[in-house]
Amino acid sequence: MTTYPQPDEVTSRRLAGLAQAAPGGTEPDPKTGDGTLIDTPGVRAPLVLNNRSFGEITNIICGYTENKVPRWWYPMAGLTAVLASMMGAFILYLVITGIGTWGLNNQVDWAWDITNFVFWIGIGHAGTLISAILCLLKQKWRTAVNRSAEAMTIFAVICAATFPGIHIGRQWMAWFLPPIPNSNGIWPNFRSPLLWDVFAVSTYGTVSLLFWFMGMVPDLATLRDRADRRLRLNPEGSPLVLPFLPFRVDQLRAYIYGFLSLGWRFSSRHWHRYEAAYLILAGVSTPLVLSVHSIVSFDFATAVLPGWHTTIFPPYFVAGAIFGGFAMVLLLLIPARELYPNMKDLVTLRHLENMAKILLLTGSMVGFAYSMEFFIAWYGGNKYELYAFQNRAFGPYWWAYWTMITCNVVSPQLFWSRKLRTTPASIFFVATLVTIGMWFERFVIIVTSLHRAFLPGEWGMFHPTPVDICIFVGSLGLFLHLFLLFMRFIPMFAMAELKAVMPQASPHAHGDSHGHDSHADHDAGHAHQGGH
Amino acid sequence: MSVIFPKWTNLLPTIGAIGGLALSCGVIGGFWYYATPKFWRVGYMPKQPGGGFNHQIHAGKLGMDCRYCHTHIEESPEANVPNVATCYGCHQAGSLLLYDTSETHKNKTEFIREAYSKDASIEWRRIHKVPDYVRNFPHNVHLHAGVSCYSCHGRIDTMPVVYEHEPLSMSWCLNCHRASEKNLVPPDKVTNLAWVETQLKDRENGQAAAVNEGKRLVDTLKNAPPQNCGACHY
Repeated sequence: MTTYPQPDEVTSRRLAGLAQAAPGGTEPDPKTGDGTLIDTPGVRAPLVLNNRSFGEITNIICGYTENKVPRWWYPMAGLTAVLASMMGAFILYLVITGIGTWGLNNQVDWAWDITNFVFWIGIGHAGTLISAILCLLKQKWRTAVNRSAEAMTIFAVICAATFPGIHIGRQWMAWFLPPIPNSNGIWPNFRSPLLWDVFAVSTYGTVSLLFWFMGMVPDLATLRDRADRRLRLNPEGSPLVLPFLPFRVDQLRAYIYGFLSLGWRFSSRHWHRYEAAYLILAGVSTPLVLSVHSIVSFDFATAVLPGWHTTIFPPYFVAGAIFGGFAMVLLLLIPARELYPNMKDLVTLRHLENMAKILLLTGSMVGFAYSMEFFIAWYGGNKYELYAFQNRAFGPYWWAYWTMITCNVVSPQLFWSRKLRTTPASIFFVATLVTIGMWFERFVIIVTSLHRAFLPGEWGMFHPTPVDICIFVGSLGLFLHLFLLFMRFIPMFAMAELKAVMPQASPHAHGDSHGHDSHADHDAGHAHQGGH
Repeated sequence: MSVIFPKWTNLLPTIGAIGGLALSCGVIGGFWYYATPKFWRVGYMPKQPGGGFNHQIHAGKLGMDCRYCHTHIEESPEANVPNVATCYGCHQAGSLLLYDTSETHKNKTEFIREAYSKDASIEWRRIHKVPDYVRNFPHNVHLHAGVSCYSCHGRIDTMPVVYEHEPLSMSWCLNCHRASEKNLVPPDKVTNLAWVETQLKDRENGQAAAVNEGKRLVDTLKNAPPQNCGACHY
């Protein structure tokens, strides 16, 4: 006798009281961690744990924005808002007083400003890699991290774009960065990578924003419909926005999410168009992963300064950007998993391990690039270049160089150990070091190359001022504050995409041809999970 | 799903697209027209002491040369405004026939004699001014190269009260530096504004002789008009 179970059999069993959902997270297993660390070839690790049903996934993800604000949210949002305001206040001070409030000088004329710019623009690359390249390569695990990684990209681009705008000295002339017809009768230098940078970063910001927003439309429509449904079931159930306004929170939610979801009705035609547009945007974004940081590296590589003038810069910068970006994704998602325990069902140890492996790969690539720079400095026979690199490692900024080597090259090597790359705490530790190391990499490239140029008469040192420090720390606050707002107000996961990689979505998942009677009883690591 | 937005809101994207397009065209067009020196500077005509020095009468009707008053323009970067003694040279009591025959003229020029007797300056209001970061606009160099007064100041000899005739913006400077054959005249003709106007208009209309004259004059220059930043900003 052939049985035809319900498509979402787990849900029906739970509704019938035949199965219970676990509260979130699973018991650690020494061999497979949370059940996802399966190394057997041919066996696919599950991407969603605890046999979550489609409905539960929707409830969990919408719950992050619909449930009561968690207790940790207000203090964290408050603290980061203070830091972001501090950044604003110090930028105002900088604009009013002048660029001399920074520590840069005639010798080191680019310092923390451009360091921070390159640091932030690099962070964004992980988001684009996850959303574009991993999409084209059909890496299913990306569905659990792509939304937050794309959000991180946008926020990082916002932080990055601040710095070129404020480093120009006469900030009210910032409109001169893009080529705009003007009554001066001149254009920016089209042969200068500084202008290409403007195009690269603005294209990058625009495409990332479109990609992020378009992927979000169905999820925003879900949030809209849930608010609308609650209102219809119980019009008085939602609190008033403000005590004296005759307007309820759910009404506001329905309006705002309704506006943002652009009339999405979940029709097949909508999904058809959506898939096509998503693929096009993934194709458009893919070259951006490589081009943006290549162009940023041209800012340095096209100069004749020893230490900057090297052809290895574009690939080395791109690898470094992906390296730093994945470290930041991990820095954000590992605490988020701890703060929202049910997120551990969606972002499993397998996801973290995959990203740790990318850290190991890209960390080794930047390590190779560092050593190749030294080799070429010796092999090339240019004494200025050789001196620039000797000065990096053993000059007055030796501590910055060796901090960079320790954090970027040595620390990811810990991930050769399976235990260390599957333990969230150790991944978090290494990701922190990598983030510090990637900041120092840009500092080393910019400041140690500039501070001793060709003539000893041009030699000097750079000392950051409180304004330098506060603007940088403030940009960290701005970034984290935007991410906290994202966690609270925007669906943190792409619900439909996540459901598509769950076992229920697989046409073979219901045992009609394999003789299995119930999917819910399968082991988490069973061969059918995650599809074929 | 119930209706959150009424049906007319379907028009909003269209309205937004058209409105956005119109708004951006308006902003760009408005900026283009209003926010440049062409709009703000051309026609600037401040009130001058004593009603102003009437260039139409002095330089036009009486045919005085520019250099009678602006004495140093040929050797100095700065185009000097004449001191009160220059005015007084003609306008001292009884020196001109008009002084005795016309009561109006006598009253109108009284402020010159007053200033002279007090050993004070007449506080003319400056009209043509380039920003401080344009370090040096050398009048002498331009005159010797054959740039007429007319090119920057217009037909001063027809202006009862002087006003700014050209925008003096950077693109305006560069337009001439990039195509100086449109403006160069023989250096001995630079103050002959009526002749220069006809000549330059002829060139604009493509009259062969005038156009060739412009090309010939460019070839006589020892240095091409500079277009590098450091030529003016240093």
